[in-house]
Amino acid sequence: MTQAAGRNGARERILAAAVRQIAGDGIDGVRIARIAMDAGVSPALVHYHFATRESLLAEALDYSYALAGDARLKDIPPAGATHAQRLAMMIDQCLPTTPALTEDWVLWMELWLRAVRHPELRPFAEELYARMRAWFADEITAGIAAGEFARCDPEEVADRTLALLDGFGVRTLIGDSAVPLERARRAVSASLARDLGVGERLSDPGPTARPQRTRARPA
Amino acid sequence: MSPRPKLGHIRRPQIIEAALATIYERGFSETRIIDIADNAGTSAATILYYFESKEKLLEEALTHSDEQFYAKLREEIETLDRASAQLVHIVERSAAPPDPLDDWTLWIEMWLQVRHRPHLRGTYERLERSGQQLMIAEVIRRGQDDGEFNADVDAEDVATMLSALIDGLGVQVTLQHPDVTAERMVRLCLDAAATELGFVPERRPETRQSASVAPIGAKAAKR
Repeated sequence: MTQAAGRNGARERILAAAVRQIAGDGIDGVRIARIAMDAGVSPALVHYHFATRESLLAEALDYSYALAGDARLKDIPPAGATHAQRLAMMIDQCLPTTPALTEDWVLWMELWLRAVRHPELRPFAEELYARMRAWFADEITAGIAAGEFARCDPEEVADRTLALLDGFGVRTLIGDSAVPLERARRAVSASLARDLGVGERLSDPGPTARPQRTRARPA
Repeated sequence: MSPRPKLGHIRRPQIIEAALATIYERGFSETRIIDIADNAGTSAATILYYFESKEKLLEEALTHSDEQFYAKLREEIETLDRASAQLVHIVERSAAPPDPLDDWTLWIEMWLQVRHRPHLRGTYERLERSGQQLMIAEVIRRGQDDGEFNADVDAEDVATMLSALIDGLGVQVTLQHPDVTAERMVRLCLDAAATELGFVPERRPETRQSASVAPIGAKAAKR
């Protein structure tokens, strides 16, 4: 049981029910009455905690993200793991690899769509994005400092990695027959490995298995 | 079965155009058939005569906007000599489409609909394979044949990677992320393409300028 779910308050139960239903039917398919029933509270209490669908989505996503974060902490890289191995684990934690991450993914997509039409949600989407970016950029920076990775702009590489995770993750999530999970994982890992000059795969042994190609920069 | 409605001057393309604009503006789940009918100047019955469901209208709207976008793009890249210049142009146009309706809004709608209604997967795959990814793969193969791009890489693989990268960044640009601008999107995509394909992307100054005057701002003003 995660810490958040263990508190077992009405609010948490409402959020857990909201995550399940949004992931299943989409934010627009969500009925407050069903969430209330699922959470064992009155519809009035749901309305009391969440005045609008936007606030419900934002809080449910934050809750789901915290749960995914708890799962991430449990998945501690083995002692002595290289930065490349840590990044490979992070990639797994950002793709729909488990039922909980799959729910988190659907909510993430719902947030995009909602934020297109409700600009008040954009700062929240940006904050979530910033956390993910910092998570990757910090690991990359540490790997450069340790001499494991070639010099690069960590934020730029993080942006590209997040975009690939989103682009491939969406395809995997919706069951694109050309992009099963393993292909998504391999493609993101290969691109990041090349950016960092560690060969073709993040799990490849030893740094700089082959010379890094020079990144061409448009003038 | 209702009698065949009087079609008069109303034609399918007008309904599709109206569906595109309405779904883009209001969102798929907030759009009612009657809203599309109002925008198209026809009746809900007429629309349901042509298209059996709202899902079908989303599919047709997205197909229509994709076909138009890629037909125009194809004309444009045919005026460029080299595959590298063609690839640069595809990326620039994707980051800053001339028509704001071609941003990622309808794709996000489609992704979510496919997730919640798996029977739409076939439609999604047809669209996914016929637009961006196909065009990028063609240009890469051409560049490989001409000796401009690294011939050792799999064109389909690189096209899929670039297409996923463009989608991931396109979502952030559509959301007007302050750090992930259209200009940054172009650079991140071209850097990745350059690494994979071993070429130096050359950008024409005039296209760079038009890419920075993104319609994104205009769209924001409209809302």
